[in-house]
Amino acid sequence: MAKKIKKTIKLSKLISKTIFYMLIVTLAIAIILPAFFLVSLSFLSTREAYQYPLPLLPSMSTEYSLTHGNRGYLISVYDKFDEEYQTVLDTSELEKITVYMKNQLGTPYTIPEIEEQIAKLESGAEDPVYFSASKNIFLNYISFFQISRDAVPALLRSFQIAGLTILVSLTIGGMAGYAFARYIFPGRDALKFSVLFVRMFPGVAIALPMVIILADMGFYDKPVGLVLVYSVGSIALTIWITASIFMGIPESLEEAAQVFGATKFQTFLRVTFPLALPGLAAAAMYAFLGAWNETVSAIILTQFNPTFPVVVYQALLGAVGNVNLAAAGGLVMAIPSLVFTFFIRKYIQQMWGGVTI
Amino acid sequence: MATLKMQNVTKQFGRNVIAVKDFNLEVQEKEFLVLLGPSGCGKTTAMRMVAGLEEVTTGHIFIGDREVTELPPRKRNVSMIFQNYAVWPHMTVYDNIAFALKLKNLPKDEIDKIVKESARLAKIEMLLDRLPSQLSGGQQQRVAVSRAIAVNPDIFLMDEPLSNLDAKLRVSMRTELKAIHEKAGSTTVFVTHDQSEAMSMADRIVIMKDGEVVQVGTPDDVYHRSRSIFVADFIGTPPTNFMDVKIQKETNGTHLVNPHLNLLLTSEMANHLHNYSKGHIVLGIRPENILLVDSGKAALSASCLVSEPQGSHQVVAIQLDENIIKAVAPASPKIAPGTDVHLNFKQETLRFFDPDTTLAIND
Repeated sequence: MAKKIKKTIKLSKLISKTIFYMLIVTLAIAIILPAFFLVSLSFLSTREAYQYPLPLLPSMSTEYSLTHGNRGYLISVYDKFDEEYQTVLDTSELEKITVYMKNQLGTPYTIPEIEEQIAKLESGAEDPVYFSASKNIFLNYISFFQISRDAVPALLRSFQIAGLTILVSLTIGGMAGYAFARYIFPGRDALKFSVLFVRMFPGVAIALPMVIILADMGFYDKPVGLVLVYSVGSIALTIWITASIFMGIPESLEEAAQVFGATKFQTFLRVTFPLALPGLAAAAMYAFLGAWNETVSAIILTQFNPTFPVVVYQALLGAVGNVNLAAAGGLVMAIPSLVFTFFIRKYIQQMWGGVTI
Repeated sequence: MATLKMQNVTKQFGRNVIAVKDFNLEVQEKEFLVLLGPSGCGKTTAMRMVAGLEEVTTGHIFIGDREVTELPPRKRNVSMIFQNYAVWPHMTVYDNIAFALKLKNLPKDEIDKIVKESARLAKIEMLLDRLPSQLSGGQQQRVAVSRAIAVNPDIFLMDEPLSNLDAKLRVSMRTELKAIHEKAGSTTVFVTHDQSEAMSMADRIVIMKDGEVVQVGTPDDVYHRSRSIFVADFIGTPPTNFMDVKIQKETNGTHLVNPHLNLLLTSEMANHLHNYSKGHIVLGIRPENILLVDSGKAALSASCLVSEPQGSHQVVAIQLDENIIKAVAPASPKIAPGTDVHLNFKQETLRFFDPDTTLAIND
């Protein structure tokens, strides 16, 4: 009897454990798969990227065959899925061949190298000539920055904007948050709620007035203009985050510092600031992510000085139009926010005593 | 160490809340003074004004010969122990104690010496490199104490420092705080609402009510010579018993009479009522001054409502109309509920209060 019960318990435990892991795995796949897809796509050559079905992993090299064609030389590429050589080019211009190899298949090949293969064909020793060219795996990233000439300045501009947004929203939002946490004044709660109103309006909806106002201020198409626009939203969030963290810091800790010889500024620097650091870090993270990822307002409010998300967005459009390049740009964009988040996570997890977010 | 003087200090919050009203106080050097009162009586506000954490509305505060009324907290050379300890959670115990010393730019080895010495006094020398979150409440309180000792202040302020500790620790910390006070020889102002804490620690007690000082005196003074019904009721457990009585002059002397009581006063006690013109007083008697006597000698007889054994003694409660009178009786013989008890009073300990002003008549 006891044994039976034990067995049942064991079984039910096993079942619940299995269900638990199934759920976890499903969740993990749901999160990881799109990310994996993006990473993989960013390393695919253009030809691979437009293949169906899409290869799961980028190839490291490409097999070519070379033979005589109607208009010159016939270049074929080995297709792993169909397991056959597929003709891609029939031309006598060697430069066209190298450009195709580089742009479509990501395998940089020089004209002398092609000439060498052609010499093999002409000598009659082999027909067709098979050769393989190794792929430059980072070619998409290089091309992305080469094709979109704005990319590098846009990247720097984005850093600048995100940094300034953190600065503005933490100074103003942090101070306001402190005031909301420490002082009781008429209309405090109404005011605290009203700062959230600015976040209710979608960027597109208020785009036109924003353009006009920024143009009036002389900030249209300037990083400062975007900093202002982003700060409005993130100040609201910063106020709420920092107000709650400051409320969690007992006032007596500050009073103790003052009794024991600290000026108001020293009190802030040595007691309040270190204790509020997790909240400030969280607020900084939100401000950074908001400013770094924002696209809609940036598209509307810039013309010749786009931010990086705008450049990536343009890479997706027809003019430059390669999904694999856009994926490369997207990854470049994701890296700073990843690094920043990991770096700041340490501070957010640091919670002293009763001080929590 | 220094004296503390508060002259006509008033604190007003907003337009009509007066937290402290015309407060006058002089604390002697090395004195342990306790501000005692129910919550909301202004005792903490009074202390916070000494620390400089509240601004004074009117009046003056002197520490030694210095007027500090307008000085910021850091220039007053006071130290404070807070009710919630207020040790900084992001600093180690060592850094907590060294905080004030570092701000004074003392040399490192001197800081080290002072920190270790004050940690030794508070018995936390083995906890110096811990963070406060790793300490118990009692240990955190010791950190607060040793931080307060380290600065060698003119005045020691303690704002209900024991009220967050559990009952047993509270009693043992009382003794230790008092011992540290003796050793450091510091002028101390201690705020509490716990009258037994005040009685056991204070050199002098200041009893406050509604922002005003009601009585200042030694623990004996406030206990035995309570100046008002409020003080007599607030101090002591169980508190003083009160009875409304009529004064009746008869041929054999002055009687205090009510439906349950007929007490013939000694001539000495009757003298206290000599200049009193009203016919009624409130009689105050401490439970331990009520005697169980034979029925012939009783001033008051009633049946016992409950008796609460306390080990060394028992508290006998009797009900007179609405009023419950408590008396302290020897532990044996045990008095069962419902038995008749006969009571008389130690006359010299009686307190007479004017029912209108609530102040004591016999001082």
